[in-house]
Amino acid sequence: MLQKDKRVLTGNEGIARGFYEAGGLIAASYPGSPTVEVIEKLKEYHEVYSEFSTNEKVALEVAIGGSFYGARSMAVMKHVGVNIASDPLMTFTQTPTNGGFLLVSGDDPGLASSQNEQDNRFFGKFANMGIFDPSNSQEAKDYTKLALEISEEFQAPMMLRITSRVCHSRSVVSIDERTELEPKGINRDKEKFCMVPPGSRKAQLFMKDRIEKLEDYGYEFHINELEEREGSDTLIITSGMVYQNLKEINPNASIWKLGLIYPISKKRAKEITSKYNRVIVIEEMMPFIENELKLMGIKCEGKEYFSYTGELDIKAIEAGLHKAGVLKQIKKYREELVETVPRAPLFCTGCPHRPVFDILKKSKAKTIVGDIGCYSMAFLFPFQQSNIIISMGASIGITKGIKKAMTKKGDKEPLVAVIGDGTFFHSGLPAIINLLHKKNEGENMTFIVLDNRTTAMTGGQPNASSGLYNEVDDMKVNIKELLEAMGFDRVKEINQYDYKATAKLFKEEIAYDGLSIIVANGPCALKYNMEEPYYYVDPSICINCRACIKTNCPPLRMKKYEGIEKLKSSIDKDMCVGCSVCAQVCPVNAIKSSKETDREDDKIDN
Amino acid sequence: MTTNIMLGGVGGQGLILMTKIICQAALEEGLDVKSNDVVGLSQRGGMVWGNVRIGKKVYSPNISPGDGDILVAMEPIEGLRWRGILKEDGIIILNTKKHFPTMVQQEKYEYPDEEVENLKKEFKVIDINAFDEAVAIGKKQVSNVILLGILAEFLNIKKETWKKVISNNVPQKTIELNLKAFNLGVEKAIKNK
Repeated sequence: MLQKDKRVLTGNEGIARGFYEAGGLIAASYPGSPTVEVIEKLKEYHEVYSEFSTNEKVALEVAIGGSFYGARSMAVMKHVGVNIASDPLMTFTQTPTNGGFLLVSGDDPGLASSQNEQDNRFFGKFANMGIFDPSNSQEAKDYTKLALEISEEFQAPMMLRITSRVCHSRSVVSIDERTELEPKGINRDKEKFCMVPPGSRKAQLFMKDRIEKLEDYGYEFHINELEEREGSDTLIITSGMVYQNLKEINPNASIWKLGLIYPISKKRAKEITSKYNRVIVIEEMMPFIENELKLMGIKCEGKEYFSYTGELDIKAIEAGLHKAGVLKQIKKYREELVETVPRAPLFCTGCPHRPVFDILKKSKAKTIVGDIGCYSMAFLFPFQQSNIIISMGASIGITKGIKKAMTKKGDKEPLVAVIGDGTFFHSGLPAIINLLHKKNEGENMTFIVLDNRTTAMTGGQPNASSGLYNEVDDMKVNIKELLEAMGFDRVKEINQYDYKATAKLFKEEIAYDGLSIIVANGPCALKYNMEEPYYYVDPSICINCRACIKTNCPPLRMKKYEGIEKLKSSIDKDMCVGCSVCAQVCPVNAIKSSKETDREDDKIDN
Repeated sequence: MTTNIMLGGVGGQGLILMTKIICQAALEEGLDVKSNDVVGLSQRGGMVWGNVRIGKKVYSPNISPGDGDILVAMEPIEGLRWRGILKEDGIIILNTKKHFPTMVQQEKYEYPDEEVENLKKEFKVIDINAFDEAVAIGKKQVSNVILLGILAEFLNIKKETWKKVISNNVPQKTIELNLKAFNLGVEKAIKNK
């Protein structure tokens, strides 16, 4: 027998592979950690149509469309993406699913890279979807396939709830062939798909019936597996990565591992739990499974021992089981992270956001409303140039509200908001248009659109303006022209690498007593691979004022030079990409380009 | 017996590629393997980490503090930060190339040179300026493959397997340079074993 092809895949790659093998045809997403790589991997499979859409709502709609035409379809997003997609989601799920439909929700217990820790299992239930919860990459692949099959069988939309740890961890996966499936074509039954009464009233009953059937199916579903431990009177119920961590501890208890976590078969749950004296649920974040069991009248414990926030790693599970009395003794651990110099993230070498926030720091604007993207890092030391950050695109509407409230008090202070290009297109646009409504003179607001031509934070995916700046991307929406077409009369564009011109423009616009918009247009140094001749410091000219150091560019630091008593600035030439910002902020021209030196060297050589 | 390898570094150093290569090499040898990477802000110069667990059967990708066999510190401060993950007789493969964190650059902290030196009292440390060595043989990007070469000497995976997996994971025209970097690491490890 031929040995099966095995590969080490991340959970995200497992989902992509599963979708491919299941004959999936339409997949859409908006990039967000922890699920970015699903679509990136899918791009390798030419049989599948995949895209990064403008936002998660649009991505969901594209996937819904695919499903309506009878093609297996998938929408992929981070947990908070489901919030913006929830409007079509909550109504789409009332319709009978045609082509298998899967919503992948990347949850982030511990908030590794998110603004909140919402538990989307509740969203899945709220939207009447079945929910799968994989614990490794093999399951990520298998559950993706199973979910699409069951979705078609029960005409039910499915959610694959996956946590960031499972998304990013690698494990061994067996590879199978793809099954080709023809789309079944559209179902034109208006009653079922035009979600207005009376059809939408009937849909309520249909959804209930559908979930009940799925629950019945769950009674013997092989992915809800009971591992019995001889002689134990305790049952632990768990799912996802917690299961893998629990297996490392190997406590004296039986384990009921759930793959389908909603709906849970009440009949099966009662049968299994009735055999044990104690039932303990271990799950990350909210008590979801615990609540489901309690609603069934099953006595169980859980959140009294395990935190409702953060990941439940081996240490946390051991501590909880010890508290519960299941483990008599636990190991004493060392402190994992030893106190040392912290290393916070910072703008990359050559980043176009650096001059923007260096200028804002020196400006008269005291309140800066931030948004979601690389530039969120401006809130960190040493810039500290964001006072508020909430969610994608929220800076614009919030700024307007603050300004209107300021006007009520007669507060005339300037107000600045920053928003990236990806975020601008994602969900900034409706709020931008709303700025034109009841726009008054004397209300000083400056909006800075940071157009770095890519969705940088998640690894440089294209967005609606990227096509203007490179040949591979197809959308060419010019932000300045768009704003002017909307009717904004004060829109300025600037290349922020020209520090002096940018500082002058910011000063003028922040002083202007009305609404102005600046499009700061400089390419992401990482995505567009900036590589100009490096700069260097002449320590004999440097007056150690640290103006360059304050820009926080990674290659810069104060250094001891031989024969010079005071510390002087320096640049690591192997790291410098030659953006020139440090040279421009230097008041005494102590920082020079190596290009000029090379030229001088050439002269000497010749 | 499970071997637990911890990697600590700075965003942009190529740590994720390292964990990927280690995983694939282990699978090629018919072992079970799981890994973990921290991603998200990984390219922005912040602290990043990953780990790999290799054995007959591995459940969790996570290494608990005190269970680590080898720590690959791609930057000295990250070696300090992650030393708590190691067993008492753990090994540290230390890249001495410094990346100065914001707090050092802004002169709020001194670079902890003395503490780094003290690591040698507590653990077996193999140190190398992989960055300078990489620049010397051709390209700064291969510094992590030098570290992989050192690591390979401590793992029960054939050198040929490593070379095959590395070749599969780097751009075609850099294969030769990467293998040179790998060999350099292996030799360094043999000398310091």
